[in-house]
Amino acid sequence: MSCFGRRPWDPRGKHCYVTGGSSGLGLALSLLLVEQGADVSIVAFDEEGLIAARERLESVRQTRDQRFAEYNYDLTSAEAVQDALRAVMNDHDGRVPDATFLCAGGATPKFFVEMTKEDLTRGLEMSYWIQAWTAWAVSQEMIRTRKKGKICFVSSTLGYMSVVGYASYAPGKHALRGLADTLRSEFKLYGIDVQIFFPCTMYTPGYERENLTKPEITLKLEESDPGLTAMQAAHGMLNGIKSHKSHITGDWITEIFRASTQGSSPGHFFLKDWGLNVLGTLVLPLWRMYVDMTVTGHAHEHDAYLTERKLRD
Amino acid sequence: MSCFGKRTWDPKGKHCYVTGGSTGLGLALSTLLVQQGADVSIVARNEKNLKAAIEKLETVRQSKDQKFAYYSYSLTSARESQEALQAVIAGHNGETPDGVFLCAGGSKPKFFVEMSGEELVQGMDMGYWVQAWTAWAASKEMARTRKKGKICFVSSTLGYMSLIGYASYSPAKHALRGLADTLRFELQLYNIDVQIFFPCTMYTPGYEEENKTKPKITLKLEESDSGLTAEQAAHAMLAGIKDHHSHITGDWITTVFRASTKGASPGRFFLKDWALNIFGCIALPIWRMTVDREINGHVAEHETYLEERGLRA
Repeated sequence: MSCFGRRPWDPRGKHCYVTGGSSGLGLALSLLLVEQGADVSIVAFDEEGLIAARERLESVRQTRDQRFAEYNYDLTSAEAVQDALRAVMNDHDGRVPDATFLCAGGATPKFFVEMTKEDLTRGLEMSYWIQAWTAWAVSQEMIRTRKKGKICFVSSTLGYMSVVGYASYAPGKHALRGLADTLRSEFKLYGIDVQIFFPCTMYTPGYERENLTKPEITLKLEESDPGLTAMQAAHGMLNGIKSHKSHITGDWITEIFRASTQGSSPGHFFLKDWGLNVLGTLVLPLWRMYVDMTVTGHAHEHDAYLTERKLRD
Repeated sequence: MSCFGKRTWDPKGKHCYVTGGSTGLGLALSTLLVQQGADVSIVARNEKNLKAAIEKLETVRQSKDQKFAYYSYSLTSARESQEALQAVIAGHNGETPDGVFLCAGGSKPKFFVEMSGEELVQGMDMGYWVQAWTAWAASKEMARTRKKGKICFVSSTLGYMSLIGYASYSPAKHALRGLADTLRFELQLYNIDVQIFFPCTMYTPGYEEENKTKPKITLKLEESDSGLTAEQAAHAMLAGIKDHHSHITGDWITTVFRASTKGASPGRFFLKDWALNIFGCIALPIWRMTVDREINGHVAEHETYLEERGLRA
């Protein structure tokens, strides 16, 4: 997708559908969209959070014509996702949203050998299906009604790389990249823009939950990550959406990963991407070696950890 | 993982567990392993194909001590993947395999707008879970018994990039990369090597199956792909396994994609990767633009296609 010569996307007057809109990135993005004049429908599986979110959206209302609505649905289920979309459309004169922002998701990091079947299945549901189902339902409706709109996925730095502890999450985030890159190309048939945001660590309620199960070695390896607030991430995301960038990032570390894994995905300014790519080829192997050293240094302590939990003979 | 100073992996005398071992890449790899002196256990669903495969392996038996076995299981299920592994272990003196080669999988390309929910789920089952469950079962067993072994996934060129028609498959192949890159780090805790092969088009029974549903435009865009026989792919895969390459490719196009999407994954000889990366920075955007143009040129024909199928209002 070329960004050249296209007018920036303007939220004003658009109907925006935000999944995971009751907290974290989704809520921050919804607030920005409302402040910039959009109608916003938020969906999450979180009744209390949705009610509180609605009040926050009201507090930044710009005009009395703006419409807000909240819906409580489990977005990991294909049927519920279709029901949610129908509810959103019914309340909006039967029209499919102009833009869909897929902010729903979460991680439960753990050692792979400790993961149960449910951990792995749930991991893919909470990282991939929770967005893929909505993209599938919304795009069918957009195609049916010839709506030229936007769909924006939310992956993660862990969609460009991975590290110890994320075996149930990084695959889902990589899968979102695969889906977004496929659809970016395929949806040229329908005039639908497909974009994907790769946030780094965001200090949100989701992050607090994640840290409850995260292995200590993962916490150690992530120590130096600066991280963003949800609002900072939302600003990065919305800027990228407005300028029609295919892959969007909000921090320089993920930018390096983006340029270093670009392949055939559209990039940004050629020289900048090249510079980041070169930096990546020098820096990333060094980072990897540091991680390898940390992991192998942890093997002995981990042996005791496994034996205590009877995961080793 | 550094390849420096490590002895070449030798299949002789090793117990190799090959999933999808009754046809295509899995059978070709099993044949090579037997020719090089390994014991081989193959698992797939179809019992008839498994028996025929074992007869083929018998024709290349090197010594009377070599053991071959086959087991019929559906590896898209966690439970059956665990049972299959236990059967393989029980059939080999209770020993965990030395090498696990995850060749099982298949694809069903289609336009996203035509895909049913079941087809999307099946795409992930046949592209991701069919390998992830076995990797999970094998990792736990290797960690428990302190077996220093190898696990090799099989992704695809579509794990590095994507194309119209592959929205149910490319995400799964990207997910395998995410899993392999996570486990390469994490399973160092247990001295387990993790590798991943990215084959291009392979002329196998799976490929014939795929072409039954593949959109015409996808076939057109793939026209110039040279493709490999299963034997050629298996040779490349085994060569990469023996040299402990983290990411393995068997054709130059996929190698360009490997170098262009490397990020933090281990690479090959630094200068070679750099040159391929530079080549990719120039060639891949041009390739992408020709694909976009081809797709834009297909819009009118696709409009008729959608209307015929009642997918437009």
